[in-house]
Amino acid sequence: MTVSRRTFLKTGALAAAAAPILARAPFVSAQARVTKVLDFQTGADVAKAEQEGEIIYYGHDGEAGIAVLLDSFKKDFPKIKTSYVRLQTGALYAKITAERSANRFGVDVLQLSDISPAIDFQKKGGWEKHVSPEYAGYKAEHQSTPVGYYGWGGVSFAGISYNRGKVKPEQAPKAWKDILNPAFKDGVSAKLATSGMQHAQWYMLRKLYGNDFWPEFAKQRPKGFDARAQLFDRLSKGDDRMCVLAEYAGYTLFQEKGADIEFVAPADGLPAISLYIGVVNRAPHPEAAKLFVDWALSKRGQMVYQNQKILLYGSLRADAGPMPTGKRLADFKLLFPSDWNDFAASHTAFVKEWNAMMGL
Amino acid sequence: MSRASIDVRDLVVRYGTVEAVRGVSFTVAAGEHLTLLGPSGCGKTTTLRAIAGLERPASGEIRIGGRAVFSSAPSVNVPAERRGLSMVFQSYAIWPHMTVFDNVAYGLRVRKLPQEEIATRVREALELVQLGALGMRSASKLSGGQQQRVALARAFVFSPSVLLFDEPLSNLDAKLRAEMRVELKELQRRLDITSVYVTHDLEEALAISDRIVVMRDGAIEQVGTPGEIYDRPRNTFVADFIGSANLIRGRRRPDLERDGLVVIETAGGALVHGTADDRRSGAEALMAVRTVRLRLERVRPATNVNAWPARIRQRVFQGDFTQYHVDWDGRQLIVRSAAPDPLAEGDDVFVSAEPRHCVLLEE
Amino acid sequence: MGGAAAVLVLYPIAYLIQASLSVGDPQARPPEAYGLANYTGLGRYAHIFGNTLLVAGVATVMAVVFGFAMAWILSRTNVPGRVAFEQLMALPYYVTPLMGALAWALIGAPQSGFVNQVWRALGGDGHLIDVNTPWGIAWVMALFEGAVAFVMIGAVMKSMDPSMEEASQVLGAGRMRTMLRITLPLVLPGVLGATVFVFAEMLGSFSAALVLGLPNRFYVVTTAMYQLVSQYPPRFPTAAAMGVSLFALMFVMIWIYRRIVSKGSYVTITGKAFRPRVMDVGRLRWPLLSICIGYLGVAVILPVLTITYASFQRLTSVWPRLDNFTLANYRTALSLDAVRSALGNSLLLGLATASIGVVLMGFLSWLIYRSRLPGAGVIEYVLMFPQAVPRLVFAFGMLWAWLVFPIPIYGTLWLLLIAYLTVFLPLGLRTISGVILQIDRALEESAQMCGATWGYRLRTVTMPLLKPGLVAAWLLLFIASVRELGASILLMGPKAKVITPAIVESWFSTSSELTAAMALLQTLAVAAALAILFTVARRATQPVGE
Repeated sequence: MTVSRRTFLKTGALAAAAAPILARAPFVSAQARVTKVLDFQTGADVAKAEQEGEIIYYGHDGEAGIAVLLDSFKKDFPKIKTSYVRLQTGALYAKITAERSANRFGVDVLQLSDISPAIDFQKKGGWEKHVSPEYAGYKAEHQSTPVGYYGWGGVSFAGISYNRGKVKPEQAPKAWKDILNPAFKDGVSAKLATSGMQHAQWYMLRKLYGNDFWPEFAKQRPKGFDARAQLFDRLSKGDDRMCVLAEYAGYTLFQEKGADIEFVAPADGLPAISLYIGVVNRAPHPEAAKLFVDWALSKRGQMVYQNQKILLYGSLRADAGPMPTGKRLADFKLLFPSDWNDFAASHTAFVKEWNAMMGL
Repeated sequence: MSRASIDVRDLVVRYGTVEAVRGVSFTVAAGEHLTLLGPSGCGKTTTLRAIAGLERPASGEIRIGGRAVFSSAPSVNVPAERRGLSMVFQSYAIWPHMTVFDNVAYGLRVRKLPQEEIATRVREALELVQLGALGMRSASKLSGGQQQRVALARAFVFSPSVLLFDEPLSNLDAKLRAEMRVELKELQRRLDITSVYVTHDLEEALAISDRIVVMRDGAIEQVGTPGEIYDRPRNTFVADFIGSANLIRGRRRPDLERDGLVVIETAGGALVHGTADDRRSGAEALMAVRTVRLRLERVRPATNVNAWPARIRQRVFQGDFTQYHVDWDGRQLIVRSAAPDPLAEGDDVFVSAEPRHCVLLEE
Repeated sequence: MGGAAAVLVLYPIAYLIQASLSVGDPQARPPEAYGLANYTGLGRYAHIFGNTLLVAGVATVMAVVFGFAMAWILSRTNVPGRVAFEQLMALPYYVTPLMGALAWALIGAPQSGFVNQVWRALGGDGHLIDVNTPWGIAWVMALFEGAVAFVMIGAVMKSMDPSMEEASQVLGAGRMRTMLRITLPLVLPGVLGATVFVFAEMLGSFSAALVLGLPNRFYVVTTAMYQLVSQYPPRFPTAAAMGVSLFALMFVMIWIYRRIVSKGSYVTITGKAFRPRVMDVGRLRWPLLSICIGYLGVAVILPVLTITYASFQRLTSVWPRLDNFTLANYRTALSLDAVRSALGNSLLLGLATASIGVVLMGFLSWLIYRSRLPGAGVIEYVLMFPQAVPRLVFAFGMLWAWLVFPIPIYGTLWLLLIAYLTVFLPLGLRTISGVILQIDRALEESAQMCGATWGYRLRTVTMPLLKPGLVAAWLLLFIASVRELGASILLMGPKAKVITPAIVESWFSTSSELTAAMALLQTLAVAAALAILFTVARRATQPVGE
């Protein structure tokens, strides 16, 4: 399953051969020309991008989140209209692959919340190679291999959260092992197998605590949901007592609403994933697409991802400031898979185990 | 008003694989009132609808006023609306969203007559069916009898060349039906129009027809005037359907037959003389004699044939007539008599019938 | 034309069946290899099929009981205000099962449910009711399908000769006995037809099971399929096989339904005037009245009030607190592209679907039920297919089908229009054909005998008689289009969005309160659109003098 440089080159070459349109696409020369616009660097031709006047974005965030993101971009570039499609990552990826297999190319920028489809998309030659000048602000490990396909647009990480009204202080969970406490039976929530974040947690805690950890957890009869908003909505109202995949972003949002909930960051660390954003090849508005990705990965864009409460993805940029809660990403011990290919390969096993656990 | 003749030749109508009408032929003269009579499912309504153009026959030919409106070879099929006919439906088919006036005026408006003429003719038609005052009423607010009259007025107001009736009285109660029958007859006379009438009601058919076509299972059993159908049923089916006839079975006695009469001998040895017309029978034969054509007398009548001794078993007084059940020849005969002098149960009598009233049946 | 409509249906279904037979890479289009493995593998999901049958069965029984009781009360008894109640019975349909499920989740969730909060405040222990159970799901589904059962059973009851009931009463039978012994058997074919129909609907229903079942790890076939295709990698072949299996089950149901319908004589508007009489139920009127109010209460009033209340809350609680009230949900909702442009698109699409649909489906109904064309029966069957396929699954068929279609309608509102017209064919046909079947054929034939040509008949007789039915069908199609979820979710393009998917999505990814605000905005927009339409229509058409 390793994406070697050779297989990449092969698929890339195939894609290029299949698409004569690319032959005159100025992507090689575009990489060379870097311009500064506002306070960030872009490889795009800004005038051309504004002439294209439009960007079509496929994303996984909620309607409200995408609206905030696109509106921020539009504020910086009023000449570029934005439109989007929003679906769960799985369905979103299914849609874009179905469209591409029928030779319909209507997407400029794709953002996924799961690395497995991002890697698959790379194999299929779906990403346009665009080495954003803003990659300079990121570590090499927080970029695609090889570089230039997608960037890591922000990090989400999850700890444990519980409802203070429903959980006695002495029972309050502190470490990951505490989620196995039988006292929480039938009152535990997590995400469904649709979630890339859930995959990451499954993968990391299995690495830490062994293969028996999750079968043990299954005895709690956990309830699975699609999105963090649902998890915290229920937790806040007491429908569930504990959420074991409590994303920090969701926690802050609901705490602000007045929910009586607590966030626990176990000492062993917090499973984390990134979102992955890149330019799609054969994009109808290639320059605008590059401009958007450069903007999104720049400090300017990252502050939107990190500081808008509805998004709240911690930025991996070296120069990123603290999150709205005052904490920096570096203040948390984040657990990333060390081998992305192994992680992607474990996906099938995860889906099988998780679906069974969630009653599907 | 205009009149047209109708010619139906070898008409076949199929529903899927079922042959509803199986090669029917008859003619209706201009101005004649013909009735298709038969039990339900006999194909009479289908035949009528085929004439109307609402049913497409499989084969045969239909001519109206000499013009072919349907023919399988050469292929002709004039749509219903261009056949110049009109029809009264069993369910009346009054349009509930229109007034009485609009219902009746419909056919005239279709023909784009001037407003004043429409108004005049609708008024005349409504008066003819005695609904003069109801023109502006909504059609859905009429009684059954009134709806029937509207349907009638609507059907004849535009002077069609032929008027078709599909059991128009069957939804009315008995009393109203009897009244409407008389009115219908009167209307037919005044309109002087060719009409084809479908019914399963014998009395209705007898009352209003010039000629009756009796049908069964998609085929014609007998064609004749009401008198012929009543007095000279052709076969057991017609005799049965017309009702109130005694059927007498016996062996033919050709040796005794003369003067054009046929003779049968019953199992009990009674000899019955009757008429054959052109009907044929085997050695075993059946004769029909109407209950009202049998006479009961205390003394032997002065005739040398068809007079037999019998005994009154039961007497049922029915007002207009008295019905007697008579023991005769080892069976019972039913006799209806309007004679003022009643016979008593147990009386020995003579029962007799004129040979012209004893009709040989084809089986 | 019938053939063209059949293609509209069969084209996506062919892709669906193809997908269900794919045993290669589940994402490969067209499939790499064919086999039956997806079907033989369904054994793993036996419990989900069991769940589906359980919920659909219980919900059907409840819905038919609701529908029958309401139909009997409102069409056969002299309960006060019956005419008004008959009109109000359309409301559950407007409220929609999605809104009902959202509201009932707020009312009856075991912990946060309003009823249970009050229950605990009164000293109760645990929870009084729990809607996150099969029974709760069935209850919510039944509340809304009950209105459909009411319409179907009510039509039968009204066409029944009241003298039969009167005869029974003359003979000394009590009212209850009359209802059980006379009314019930007489309307039984109609009730059976409604039962089968409602059951088929329940098998394919999605939103109530999604909103209420998910929190309790309870899946039915449609929600399971939704999960299977939302996951990465999406398991289309398995979902398609599930869908086709469900389809087979519903096909049997629809076949039974057709058998029942074809046996009965459904001609009720004849040239004869017929006024159904009602019976005097005496003092029983008041309990019956409270049943009517109670039904509308739990199906309409309570859900709408709950949603309205929640939409103004920060974090919904049954106990109102001043600092918990907010307008933020509406501010957010109105800032969303999904609401701003999508609401307009939805209304536009509803208008187009309803208007084109009524003409198209009216013509098709006439073709199927009146023309006696050879093959009309087959076409009818084919056009009823979308009824049997959950729309989400059907949407995948359409996605694949229309992606490769040479005319570039993919990603536009045109595609959604085609999709709606396809998935609502059964709804439109059923509604319009119901009216066509009720109109005595002789009403058209007598016009023909008066010499009227086809077009003239259509204009002066057929259309005016069909008008009430066509208006009803238009309304149904309009509402159904605006609230459509399953097909839209996948077929929306970046520039062609509609509102309902955004509401469901908002329930997933934001909060109940924002979702409530969006649902209420949708309902208000629909109500406003209808009010404007009717005012304009009333002004435009001169009242026909009588």
